[in-house]
Amino acid sequence: MKINAQDYKFFNIEIVVPIVFLLLSFGAWQFSGLSGAFVLNQVIIRFIRDGILVLSLVIPVVAGMGLNFAVIVGAMCTQAALLFVINYQVAGVAGILLVIFLSIIFSLLAGLAIGYVLNRVKGKEMIVTIIIGFLANSIYQLVFLVGFGTFIPVINEEIILSRGIGVRNAVDLSMYRNTIDKLWLFKIGEIEFPLFMILVVLLFAGMIYYLLNTRFGQEIKAVGSSHEKAEIAGINVDLIRIKALILSTVLAALGQLVFLQNIGMFDVYTAHMNADVISCAALLAGGASIKSAKIRHALIGVFLFHTLFIVSPQAGQNLFHNAALGEYFRSFVAYGTIAFALIVNIKHEDKRLVVSPPL
Amino acid sequence: MENILEIKELSKAYHGVPALIDIDLSVKAGEIHGIVGANGSGKSTLMNILFGNPIVRETGGYQGEILYRGRRIHPKSCGEAIRLGMGMAHQEFALLPDLTIAENIKLGRERTWKFTDRLFGPKYSFIDRKRNAAGAAQVLHQLGLDVDVGIKVINLATNTKQFVELAREIDRRDLQLLLLDEPTAVLSKRDGLKLIEVLMGMSQAGLGIIFISHRLEEVEHICDRVTVLRDGRVVSRYNKGEISISQLARDMIGHRVNKAIAPARDLNTRPVISFRQFSVDMPGEELKGLDLTVFEGEILGLTSLSGHGKLALGYGLMGLYPAAGEVIYKHQRIDQMDARANIRKGIYVLPDDRQGLGILPEHSLADNIIFTGNQVKNLFAKNMVRPFGFLDQKKADLHVGQLVDELEIKCASIKQKVRELSGGNQQKVCMARALTVDPKLLFVAEPTRGIDISAKEKILKLLIDLNRTKQTTIIIASSELDELKRVCDRIAVLVEGKLFKILAPDSPEVEFGLALAGEQGN
Repeated sequence: MKINAQDYKFFNIEIVVPIVFLLLSFGAWQFSGLSGAFVLNQVIIRFIRDGILVLSLVIPVVAGMGLNFAVIVGAMCTQAALLFVINYQVAGVAGILLVIFLSIIFSLLAGLAIGYVLNRVKGKEMIVTIIIGFLANSIYQLVFLVGFGTFIPVINEEIILSRGIGVRNAVDLSMYRNTIDKLWLFKIGEIEFPLFMILVVLLFAGMIYYLLNTRFGQEIKAVGSSHEKAEIAGINVDLIRIKALILSTVLAALGQLVFLQNIGMFDVYTAHMNADVISCAALLAGGASIKSAKIRHALIGVFLFHTLFIVSPQAGQNLFHNAALGEYFRSFVAYGTIAFALIVNIKHEDKRLVVSPPL
Repeated sequence: MENILEIKELSKAYHGVPALIDIDLSVKAGEIHGIVGANGSGKSTLMNILFGNPIVRETGGYQGEILYRGRRIHPKSCGEAIRLGMGMAHQEFALLPDLTIAENIKLGRERTWKFTDRLFGPKYSFIDRKRNAAGAAQVLHQLGLDVDVGIKVINLATNTKQFVELAREIDRRDLQLLLLDEPTAVLSKRDGLKLIEVLMGMSQAGLGIIFISHRLEEVEHICDRVTVLRDGRVVSRYNKGEISISQLARDMIGHRVNKAIAPARDLNTRPVISFRQFSVDMPGEELKGLDLTVFEGEILGLTSLSGHGKLALGYGLMGLYPAAGEVIYKHQRIDQMDARANIRKGIYVLPDDRQGLGILPEHSLADNIIFTGNQVKNLFAKNMVRPFGFLDQKKADLHVGQLVDELEIKCASIKQKVRELSGGNQQKVCMARALTVDPKLLFVAEPTRGIDISAKEKILKLLIDLNRTKQTTIIIASSELDELKRVCDRIAVLVEGKLFKILAPDSPEVEFGLALAGEQGN
């Protein structure tokens, strides 16, 4: 008896979607008139900004929970940590370490809570994470718009609105700006490689890859494959799912920290918005589906998605003399990718039922 | 020899219905202990308890004592049972579909790099995939299967999955007690023998094995002791040498007081429907080329072990699962398995999945009874242009009222939601719906499943009455053999999705037991 692995895998989502993105970006780049060096520089910056956020989505997908739109909760945890530290005016390295420490603590607790909730709604995780994101957003707004100056004592008057209650729209992060971004900066022609930050992103990628290739990772995969079967295979399904979600939320929090320090300032009430949609779309653009995601999908996806993101407004400007069109195109691309991936995924499901002939 | 497992006065009930009553059982090291019993006799419940299946705890736990190596245990999860050194090969397989063969076999005991072992501990140590694949391939080779272990399990045929399921357990070094639930059911004779050989080798090395099988021949061949379960009780126990297949079959089926009985009669042999090479792709219950002719006006019983296809016939005819083959109904070929068209032709099916397919749980009893009749045959519409035919409430209520009295459906009012009725009354509502449609040919699947004894008899009586007064041809698919024997004119036994034998209802019990197990009696 001999069975060989089948290779009916051409034309699957894993290959088609990245190629479509490659062609689209190339076409849009042609019309945009932007120089290749400029686009590449921008893509590298965004790779660093968005990379860890996208990577944070991988584990929940592998654990069978679909796209974790609640990564914006992780993002909000970091912003909350930042605001508290700025409020108490802890500057310098101590400040950065405190932000990291606090954002990990906050996101750990948030991940734990979301994990518990998701264990009660098995099979409907994605819609629930979206709603959790909305809910957390309104709590966040409430705390910083109303809480500061009322029940949270204000120490740093600079970040408070002139009426004395609520945090300002934009908070400067100049004390942290460009501290690590320019570390080990290499230049090849016009293209800048901030090697240190690229390595940081790759280090996170490596860590997740490693984790998924341990016994713990096998358990995550098993849970993602089937709850019931994993349970009778002796795995504590609920616990694994909670751990997966905590990991995802903490990674998202760290990702948002990298994102914010790279930009150098942040809009208190809007910086986290779209973090979920854009990261999810980037992951899917790399060829992931809501059932399977690999590290390479995240890395390739960030590149492809952001290339399109950068060139499309300019292409819209040149083609239709209307830059706003490009902006619309951006959100069309983001939501379109997600919708497409969800639909293709269902078709994919049907094909999986093909069974090899009996021995 | 030392007892690995000792069970004392174990009882378990699901929602007040007893599934196991005072079970005593022991397994010695190096013993193969067979357990046989008909469907619903409590075998699966026993396995679930031993292996710590969470469903046991969710439904209120169990009474009694389980001693494992002399120590009292109370397994709460499968993980706990595995850590104790128990292993189980499940009938429906505990394989993760998206993992490869190697990953499935090695799950939880993957070989890892020594370096990262020291660094992070075994749970967070990097997996050495090559060594795992080699190990998995080696175990499968022992079982006589050479296969690329990188294939995902979802792409495997059922018999290959069975090998993988067993390989996972055989590969374990810490295994002391192995529970096997129908390990040979999906294997060919030759593969089954290979497997048995491996099992006997393992038991000689000191492993205790609980072996559940419907293949009585195998049980007789390999078991050191056999325990027969019936209706949740231990009815008999035999040592090696005392085991006889016909005795086991008799003990399994048992004798019961007969109640609703249809007298035997002569049948005409005009066929009303015949199936030629009829196949239905219902997962887990496939029909594979059934040849069966049903005579006009008879009650035909259809029985098989679970998974051998008795339920698929009705579903296939209604187009719920893809079907192939030829169906001749009243000299006409049925080309399309379409529920609506077939109901118009006079064929109706009452499914076994009552909650999911049989009733509209949130609708009233009256709606449920008239639903099909009104939707398909437009029986209760006021005389108006077709799509605007409003429901004739008076006519409908009168009809429903009559049926409720006739069938003695216990309800607060005919507007009560069906969900609130008991199982027996829900089944009566289904019957009332079938009566409203007034079919010429009625399929009923598991009509008495999950309902109490008095309601059972009433349902059976109804079926007999329907047959005798309206000459409706009825096909009952059921695993309740003694009920079929009381009601049916003929009983067809299916094995592996094919017709195995048609028996007269007064054939001896042993013959049924043998036929169900796929053994040609002498």
